[in-house]
Amino acid sequence: MSSFKRDKKEEEDGVGNIFQNIEKTTVLQEARVFNETSVNPRKCTLILTKLLYLLNQGEALNVKEATDVFFAMTKLFQSKDVVLRRMVYLGIKELSSTADDVIIVTSSLTKDMTGKEDIYRAAAIRALCSITDATMLQAIERYMKQAIVDRNSAVSSAALVSSLHMTKMAPEVVKRWVNEAQEAINSDNVMVQYHALGLLYHIRKSDRLAVTKLIAKLTRTTLKSPYAVCMLIRIIAKLLEEEDSGNDFPYFDFIESCLRHKSEMVVYEAAHAIVNLKRTTSKELAPAVSVLQLFCGSPKATLRFAAVRTLNQVAISHPAAVTACNLDLENLITDSNRSIATLAITTLLKTGAESSVDRLMKQIASFVSEISDEFKVVVVQAIRALALKFPRKHNTLMNFLSAMLRDEGGLEYKASIADTIITIIEDNPEAKESGLAHLCEFIEDCEHVSLAVRILHLLGREGPKTKQPSRYIRFIYNRVILECPSIRAAAVSAMAQFGASCPDLLENIQVLLARCQMDSDDEVRDRATYYSSILSKNDKNLYNNFILDTLQVSIPGLERSLKEYTQNSTNQPFDIKSVPLQVGPSPDEREKKHKSEGMLTSQGPLRPPPVSREENFAEKLSAIPGIQQLGPIFKSSDVVELTESETEYFVRCIKHCFAHHVVLQFDCLNTLPDQLLEDVRVELEPSEGFELLSVIPCKQLHYNETNHTYAILKFPDDDLPSCVGTFGAVLKFIVKDCDPTTGIPDSEEGYNDEYILEDLEITLGDQIQRVSKVNWGAAWETAAESSVEKEDTYSLSSMNTLDEAVKNIVQFLGLQPAERTDKVPEGKSTHTLLLSGVFRGGIDILVRAKLALADGVTMQLTVRSPDDSIAELITSSVG
Amino acid sequence: MGLFQKFANFLGVRKREVNVLVVGLNNSGKTTVVNRFKSEEERVTDIVPTVGFSVEKFQNKNLSFTAFDMSGHGRYRDLWEHYYKDCHGIVFVIDSSDRLRLVVVKEELDLLLQHPDVCNRKLPILFFANKMDSKEALSSVKIAAGLGLDKIIDKPWHISSSNALTGEGLQEGVEWLTQQIRDMILSKT
Ligand SMILES: Nc1nc2c(ncn2[C@@H]2O[C@H](COP(=O)(O)OP(=O)(O)O)[C@@H](O)[C@H]2O)c(=O)[nH]1
Ligand SMILES: [Mg+2]
Repeated sequence: MSSFKRDKKEEEDGVGNIFQNIEKTTVLQEARVFNETSVNPRKCTLILTKLLYLLNQGEALNVKEATDVFFAMTKLFQSKDVVLRRMVYLGIKELSSTADDVIIVTSSLTKDMTGKEDIYRAAAIRALCSITDATMLQAIERYMKQAIVDRNSAVSSAALVSSLHMTKMAPEVVKRWVNEAQEAINSDNVMVQYHALGLLYHIRKSDRLAVTKLIAKLTRTTLKSPYAVCMLIRIIAKLLEEEDSGNDFPYFDFIESCLRHKSEMVVYEAAHAIVNLKRTTSKELAPAVSVLQLFCGSPKATLRFAAVRTLNQVAISHPAAVTACNLDLENLITDSNRSIATLAITTLLKTGAESSVDRLMKQIASFVSEISDEFKVVVVQAIRALALKFPRKHNTLMNFLSAMLRDEGGLEYKASIADTIITIIEDNPEAKESGLAHLCEFIEDCEHVSLAVRILHLLGREGPKTKQPSRYIRFIYNRVILECPSIRAAAVSAMAQFGASCPDLLENIQVLLARCQMDSDDEVRDRATYYSSILSKNDKNLYNNFILDTLQVSIPGLERSLKEYTQNSTNQPFDIKSVPLQVGPSPDEREKKHKSEGMLTSQGPLRPPPVSREENFAEKLSAIPGIQQLGPIFKSSDVVELTESETEYFVRCIKHCFAHHVVLQFDCLNTLPDQLLEDVRVELEPSEGFELLSVIPCKQLHYNETNHTYAILKFPDDDLPSCVGTFGAVLKFIVKDCDPTTGIPDSEEGYNDEYILEDLEITLGDQIQRVSKVNWGAAWETAAESSVEKEDTYSLSSMNTLDEAVKNIVQFLGLQPAERTDKVPEGKSTHTLLLSGVFRGGIDILVRAKLALADGVTMQLTVRSPDDSIAELITSSVG
Repeated sequence: MGLFQKFANFLGVRKREVNVLVVGLNNSGKTTVVNRFKSEEERVTDIVPTVGFSVEKFQNKNLSFTAFDMSGHGRYRDLWEHYYKDCHGIVFVIDSSDRLRLVVVKEELDLLLQHPDVCNRKLPILFFANKMDSKEALSSVKIAAGLGLDKIIDKPWHISSSNALTGEGLQEGVEWLTQQIRDMILSKT
């Protein structure tokens, strides 16, 4: 899309891109002239430019191509042409990661970096660092140290920044350059000072005490460079955030004093830091906000933008402070820079009173067509937040959204509007009918197939639950007549939902489905036939399992299982239970989704549908012997830390649960530079009934490296109560002492050592996968006949609110809340939480928890599951 | 080559540019040799081991030389071949006091001579039996015999004893090379 736009623009301008039609093979061919005895600098510069252009367009060279052209390029060092030489440096940097033997240019570059020609020196340093690996670093160390303290500021800056990049590869070596960096921080040049601070901080950042010393020293001197001061503010803010130090930490005062700095950049940085610090009190906040307020009236657009963006970000956490700027924000509504105007309005919306909503919405409407999609999305998100805050305003907001829907706009923008309408519908029953009506209207003329399909799906789910379901049928059936096959198929499925849920519509739906069986598209006909035949059976149970709550497997998982099945010749029928389940979003994920709203953060390009964590792990685990036979992973737990994070060895565990087994994955990090660990494994003391099948040790664990060791255990057979338990754990390994700079062991001899880990718990939640039921009520009813029911009453004395109780129950059981019952309406003293999930082995679980608030929370828990002992396990483990 | 260029060459108006490759084991004195060829003001005083290669320029007679001074460390010897194709001559430097590694020198030389970019060309090769000042130094005759130079029949070659620290023996060698390359160019044009 964007490239299309660009082309069009160029056509208009009448200037084409001269590099547009070049081809990789041609350029590589042309590059052979680099080998000629006498170099033609102009010609070679042009060819190199083409090559760099291609690489920057994402064209990839294979190793041979890259190596050939790299070596041809090295011959250009014979030319003294300044422009060509600098192009060669760029070429070296670009190819350094793909070509072989790039260290061949080391001497040529060290010569340039220490030579008389100043223009070469900085660029040569950057190129040199890109070709240097850890083994070669020693050879250039002397030059780097000299360059860091060079009188030429460009040289010094280049050396400092390159050193920073090289800390990734050889932190121990770069640490030795600390004295030079110290010297550079006294430089008069603003950039050198900034870069020196960057490097010093980077070297020391894992050492709390050293950072504190650095801050103490620098806050006492006056840094000349505003960039360095900004950096210092960030360092201090980060420390303050981690420290939980209360107010006695003296450096907050330093940030405060920076509000009076003569550089605007520093003043802004200080204000930004103060409003974003969690510990800031309202008294401390005031001066920072007045600075931002001042900037709102600045003639410089960048300052206004920075100020309003910061206010926007903190509008939720510090509403009162932001409200103090309301007048200034109002002024910005008419700012000629629409980005500023948008942020101003959305900030006002976040903090404003219900009464101001209508006025502000009118304001936005006046220019919404002038802003880019990206900012329109910000507006939409602000509206969503508003709708959740002021449910009574849903009419104004819905009308606004539907007007936006009818406007021009890209898929991402339209999808965000549809999402918002859907959220509002789900949150506010009163808004449902009008929201659905808007969406019906929208799909009458919607150019985005994926969006139309989603909306049809929603209509099928929500329409039958409204007062007058029949009114939606016309909209849906219209799609069958007018649209492309994928939309027609979605419409057929939506109609079937009405047929299954509304007995009085069934006859009509059957007529429509009969017509769809004449469709020209296979998928549409198949669906119509399928639904029509099920609906003709008149069996509630069938409706539930095959229309309302269909397959709950993960689609990529199903694809993989089917592929494996067809590749193995077996007479066994395919077992749908062996397919990993489609997992509902975890509370965390949903939280995250809402947090970023209203911020100006790019979502990036559309991503492929996410793969579940389990599928991600499945790929890695399948390489490990003995795991393939266990079947698919049923659930992977969250990460559990078995050590404190700042210890010698840092160990974390992920529990992968299978139908009858559990695989424990231990991620171990070695933080000791002078130790190489070998044969690293975790020795377990499993609780009774668990059988330890095998341990897969990690062969080697170098410094600063994370590697895995595994243990495979079998769950106790036929004894569910023993399937939850606590294991003792000890990390065992062989230590080889080694040289911290090279990581090479001093001798072949090692010695055994061990390290006690925290106990590891296998919980109920580890063995339950959250699976959502579209129609929980119908499933519950069906389960009354086919399942066992267990019920018990509990008093949850440590819970003070219903909300808190709901959160804890959901987390403890690891089940998926249905029908948004995890949201407790405000001011209620009773609530019913509906949950669903699957126990390992594919056994359904439905839970209903009736909660009442009375001196703590009382809970009546009802569990329905086809398996007696699972229902028992759940009721007993809660108590 | 255009007519004018030919004419110009003939008159020696513009110096003809040629490339030579300087190879040999590490520590044999290649960089020191090349440094000697440069004019006095361009010479460096501090010679450090070469990592990869370094390009140097010097003049002799009416030829303008570009020398690719290669590193002789094991890790880099395989990379010499990238530079064979387009050179007009090879300078092969031998540490004549390093008797132990003379077999390694022979191995590398044989590899060079068999390389497809070298074997079918009439490339002149100049050998410097360097470090002649050293007590253990072998004579150039012994070195020529040790390396089996008499077996090279399809290429002009020449061996000079040299002391790169003082410059002794270098001039004689480079003059031979200049002459060879000039002959080669003239016969081609
Ligand atoms: N005694 C002596 N030492 C030499 C001679 N030529 C070079 N060297 C020394 O040998 C060492 C290696 O020289 P260098 O030019 O770096 O060798 P390269 O690795 O072949 O480039 C240096 O210490 C030189 O001073 C020579 O003719 N006689
Ligand atoms: Mg050398």
